[in-house]
Amino acid sequence: MSSPADARRAQFEREALPHLDTVYRVALHLAGDRSEAEDLAQETILKAFRAWQQYRPGTNAKAWLLTILRHTFINGYRRAKHRRETVDVHEIEPFTVFREVQDVDPEGTFFARIVDDEVLRAIDALPPDFRETLVLSDVEGLSYAEIAEIVGVPVGTVKSRLFRARQLLQKRLYDYAVEMGYIRRGSP
Amino acid sequence: MTTPDRPAGCREVVDRLYEYLDRELDPAVERAVRGHLAECAHCFALHRFEDAYRRFLEARAQAKGAPPELRRRILHHLLSGRDPEAP
Repeated sequence: MSSPADARRAQFEREALPHLDTVYRVALHLAGDRSEAEDLAQETILKAFRAWQQYRPGTNAKAWLLTILRHTFINGYRRAKHRRETVDVHEIEPFTVFREVQDVDPEGTFFARIVDDEVLRAIDALPPDFRETLVLSDVEGLSYAEIAEIVGVPVGTVKSRLFRARQLLQKRLYDYAVEMGYIRRGSP
Repeated sequence: MTTPDRPAGCREVVDRLYEYLDRELDPAVERAVRGHLAECAHCFALHRFEDAYRRFLEARAQAKGAPPELRRRILHHLLSGRDPEAP
């Protein structure tokens, strides 16, 4: 026999739980540690379940969960090693990998040879603000407006962080690929 | 600023390429960028490279989901841990 509480749980499992993978992956990049990410993801989901009556069915459950995740992280999980130092986007030297590879590998096939763990390491080496924006966009596919809302910054800031984050990440991946001999360094 | 009547130049296409790939441009600007990419070999090559990067990253970084043990633990909490505010 089904009670209102059962119906509520069923709805939560149907609309919120499918986003657990996303919540976990973003938690992993925020916390930088597997067991901490699991705790963070679990706390986020249970907190969301308790607040489920505040969620309007049919709206963006993923963005709602990620907002809760972010608050949970900032309020309790922030560790010294992952302190959110802010980086001035203009202080980062512009670097376009395409310019380096256009003669030797214009289609970027070297990317495919880089192993998963190295990709995750490269993402985690990004400054926190950039990492967060890049993960929400390039890994989880959120729109600029969704990211702006979750992170609490203007859309223009999302754009500029994303631009620099992609340049930085591509450079790290490129340097790694050169080091591993997957691609030879292009003549400048 | 590009309008539907004036085609986009290389500089503008390079500046807006990420917004184009992210499907964040107004339809008119998107058309102008697409039109430029169809005609400019250099911008098209850059576009192909950035597109390859995005596909690669999405596929790689999404490869790992939540551990099954975490999923089980959460389901267990949802089933057993009755919400204190529920009747």
